[in-house]
Amino acid sequence: MFANRIIALSLNRPLMIYWGLVLFTLSIGALISLIKVDTDPENMLSRDEPARIYHNQIKQEFALSDLIVVGAVAKTGETIFNPQSLADLKVLSDEIKQIEGVIVKDVNAISTIDNIEQAGEGVIRFEWLMAKAPTDEQSAIELQQKTRRLPFVVNSLVSGDEKAATIYVPIENKDESYRISQAIQVLIEQLSNANEYHITGLPVAEDTFGVEMFIQMGISAPAAAAVIYLLMLYFFRSASLVVAPMIVAMATVIIVMGAMIGMGFTVHIMSSMIPIFLMPIAVVDSVHLMSEFADRYKPGSDAKAEIKKVTQHLFQPMLFTSITSAAGFFSLALTPIPPVQIFGVYVGLGILLAFLVTILFIPAYVSRMNDIALRNMQEKLHSASSADRKPSILARLLPIWGGFSIAQNKLVIIVALVVTAISIVGISKIQINDNPVRWFKSDHQIRVADRVLNHHFAGTYDAHLVLEFTGREDLIRGLYGEVISIVQQAKLNQSLSPESINAIETILSKGAQSLSIQELNQVVDDLLFDESDSGILVLEQIQSVVDESEANLKQFTLPRNLAYIEKLQSYLLETALVGKSNSVVDLVKTVNRELRSGSDSDYAIPETQNAVAQTLLQFQSSHRPQDLWHFVTPDYTKSLIWLQMTSGDNQDMKAVIESVEGFVANNPLPENIELNWAGKAYLNLIWQDKMVAGMFDSLVSAFAIVFIMMVILFRSLLFGLLAMLPLSITIIFMYGMIGWMGKYYDMPIAVLSALTLGLSVDFAIHFIERTRAYFKEHQDWQTTMKLMFEEPARAISRNALVIALGFTPLLLAPLVPYITVGAFLAAIMAVSALVTILVLPASFTLLKGILFKVAK
Amino acid sequence: MNKFMHVTLAKMKAYLKTFIALILVSIGGTLSNGSYALEAEKSAGIDVNTIVAKSSLAAYYGGSDGRTMARMKIFDANGRQQVRQFAILRKDIEEGGRQKFLVIFSRPNDVKGTVFMVHKKPQGEDDRWLYLPALDLVKRISAGDKRTSFVGAHYFYEDVSGRSTEADNHQFIEETESQYVLSHTPKDPQSVEFASYKTWIDKQNFLPVKIEYYDQQGKAFRLIEALDIKTVQNIPTVFKAKVTDLTDQSYTTLEFRKAVYDLGIPEDVFSERSLRKPPVEWLRKKK
Repeated sequence: MFANRIIALSLNRPLMIYWGLVLFTLSIGALISLIKVDTDPENMLSRDEPARIYHNQIKQEFALSDLIVVGAVAKTGETIFNPQSLADLKVLSDEIKQIEGVIVKDVNAISTIDNIEQAGEGVIRFEWLMAKAPTDEQSAIELQQKTRRLPFVVNSLVSGDEKAATIYVPIENKDESYRISQAIQVLIEQLSNANEYHITGLPVAEDTFGVEMFIQMGISAPAAAAVIYLLMLYFFRSASLVVAPMIVAMATVIIVMGAMIGMGFTVHIMSSMIPIFLMPIAVVDSVHLMSEFADRYKPGSDAKAEIKKVTQHLFQPMLFTSITSAAGFFSLALTPIPPVQIFGVYVGLGILLAFLVTILFIPAYVSRMNDIALRNMQEKLHSASSADRKPSILARLLPIWGGFSIAQNKLVIIVALVVTAISIVGISKIQINDNPVRWFKSDHQIRVADRVLNHHFAGTYDAHLVLEFTGREDLIRGLYGEVISIVQQAKLNQSLSPESINAIETILSKGAQSLSIQELNQVVDDLLFDESDSGILVLEQIQSVVDESEANLKQFTLPRNLAYIEKLQSYLLETALVGKSNSVVDLVKTVNRELRSGSDSDYAIPETQNAVAQTLLQFQSSHRPQDLWHFVTPDYTKSLIWLQMTSGDNQDMKAVIESVEGFVANNPLPENIELNWAGKAYLNLIWQDKMVAGMFDSLVSAFAIVFIMMVILFRSLLFGLLAMLPLSITIIFMYGMIGWMGKYYDMPIAVLSALTLGLSVDFAIHFIERTRAYFKEHQDWQTTMKLMFEEPARAISRNALVIALGFTPLLLAPLVPYITVGAFLAAIMAVSALVTILVLPASFTLLKGILFKVAK
Repeated sequence: MNKFMHVTLAKMKAYLKTFIALILVSIGGTLSNGSYALEAEKSAGIDVNTIVAKSSLAAYYGGSDGRTMARMKIFDANGRQQVRQFAILRKDIEEGGRQKFLVIFSRPNDVKGTVFMVHKKPQGEDDRWLYLPALDLVKRISAGDKRTSFVGAHYFYEDVSGRSTEADNHQFIEETESQYVLSHTPKDPQSVEFASYKTWIDKQNFLPVKIEYYDQQGKAFRLIEALDIKTVQNIPTVFKAKVTDLTDQSYTTLEFRKAVYDLGIPEDVFSERSLRKPPVEWLRKKK
């Protein structure tokens, strides 16, 4: 048999096993040096996800960069419009422009933008809003008055309460955000003490997250190893014996991480948790082996023979538990979230690897332990649990527990049913929500900055609403047809010179798809110089159809479309879900106001398309013409509304989307205009939706796979169902608790379901397998149950403790998702072990007539 | 065989172009400004301020007046294009001093009829007017500085109208076979976005053929190049130029056509009247 061959290999060739393991671990572990950390929440979506592709296309088309947000709050508690605060702001924004990697021309602050205003009768003035910091109170107040008239400043660059101002720092590459934010910090320290500063923005959060992720791996994983080691030492009282499972765990973690990194996968928040997941799970099989070995081994007996017997005995349940645990993790591959897939697959592989390493290495190791060490272990262990000494807590409690669940089996089942029912109600209360900024603890500087800035401003969370003209192709095709017919006519009349015909036909020969209005215009304009009078008429005819098409193409200079955007914006503001929105309309209205009278009554969209175009031409005659292209594309076929929100919670984003859908339902979009979403807050919502749906699929399929395996393993439908019982109760209970507690269902919570399934089925497998084995041996129910609450119940409890306590070092992690996972997994392990040794014996007792028939 | 022929032909064409260009430049240099040619010979002793003054004259004061059709193509970092087409009428009031300009837009069609008028005063603030036909609005423009974009292009207002030679301190860097290389530092660093700039001036015709702008760290971030120079009425004239934003490689090209000098445009053409009613006569008049 396969199992025997492996055990024989382990026992007969221990040195080969040792060296093989060392070499394998070291060579694959070396790949860890290639580590690349990925903290971009965008990668929660796969690269070919349409929402992500669209988001990046919009980012490119509207020249949107990743932003570091520097907030300054006046320390006086009064407004920021005092000479000292403003002087600091000016110095800081000037110096930030000197930092390598900053996109200088797009740095946004009151000291880097233009003002447009009336300067006496019939005069319009363009100038830097704050070319120099005001030196006295009076000019500071004048500046304050000016900023109030600029919609792009109010609540974006200066807070609504005017106590704070921001500098938006666009950066070329978001991987540099940590370095740049550090450089900004250095600049801040050299300023006078007028303002208090906060640095935030998604790139900073991401980079900081990466740093803390390493802290997590550097602290929590070794701490988990230490906890597990101490716990096992307590159970087995032998340092040299306990070293063996630690070696198994270390080797597994190193090989898996090396393989994952070597395969080119980045270390994401999920995969950074692989070591801490694998460590406790990897020692589980060893604990079973050693538990039984320690119980069976008597001084003087042959360790080699004993471990051989134990390994043979446990091979099948260990194999099955490993496969089922792995299946739970593998099921995560069914989620559409790449980091979760990678996590699931590699932890799954790690579990299978740990099984293999365990049965190869543990027998070899134990058989080579020297007699003195074994005798020491034996003495300590047996003296600790021998009759004249006080038995261990587990050894005392478990039989009582067993007795209770057998005697009160009906009560146990009723309680389980009631708890399940209450939990199901709790599940219906679950609130789905996530927000990457909440991954930091609430006293983290990023959370503090987030709170302060969102308190003063209309919001630092972005979403983009994109309005898009869909009729472009039809329009160009129509123009193409018209020009062809004009040229055909001119050919017949011979009214156009052959040179002109040739030039125009050259352009038309490229086909309707690649017809460029600009190119056609240029050629016709050039031809006009040398054409005859009759030819000029033809060319002007062409010009007029081209001009008409061009006007129809420029949908976002059309006053009625701008009016739609204006209406949508004011609606959004009324809903109070959005702090502020900015669009090309605000820009057009501001310039129009100043071009006309400067009074509020002229803060309006001009009446004609040409008037809008000419207004925009004036805007473009500023220091920052490129700002226009953040709101409209140069062909005016797409327009972007930038929404500022004070919350990055997916729930809030969802509410905004629903309210826009409501608006569009009542106010149909203009003809041939379509509306789409982009922006980070929107992307977060997309991956959350995918995750929720994906997790359900993954849970259901894992449940089905594990159930089928249980039926095969026990060759009984009923036992298969019973094996699923404890974990089903546990999962329902856990999610019910989350619902009742009001804790948000977020990414870390979502992945817990599949993990619970994979891990807690182990307990049921061992319990059922051992129960059936004892019953087969003794043919007596009472004896079987008595024996079950000795060594098997102890092994299950030990494992539950190892895994539960093994996860607790995650509580030390600096990031919330790790803490959540640690706390819940510890709770899950405890609950599922408890449920297993309460509910299974009770169910067995209730069904013993069917399940356990005495052999004839 | 074919391929070889093609290459050779292309090469020959290139040689021919260079040859013609050289001839044109030399004819232009000798005929139009004999005095420049003479001075250029004794260039070793030439004073830096003289070079600057001559360069300003060559670039902005050709003839006593002039007209040209201009086409600007503005390319953003994504390669997307915007077009501006306009006619420029110019009259010099003082050689090297005051000038008057009319800029009349014809494209894009939606800004057709937009007019800028400038009365340039090197010693003081320019007078600037704007007419927007769709708003039927004439406005005086007052600007904090001259380094604002010219209608969305990478050109600044000051690049089009000419930066005052008094605004910078000039320094002679080197003299090559064909060019003078000068460095300029602003007298009022607060008023400009650069720390310094360098110009490469053609020794023959004194046209600046390359201008490069540097930031505080001495890194070049902006480049202006004269790509095509032709001689019109004996006056070497830039027919194609390009400004590049070196930080993102976006750029604007500016092409001129139908340039003519010395049309005899009267000064009263450059008055507020012409804003609402462009001087068609002078826009069409042939030399």
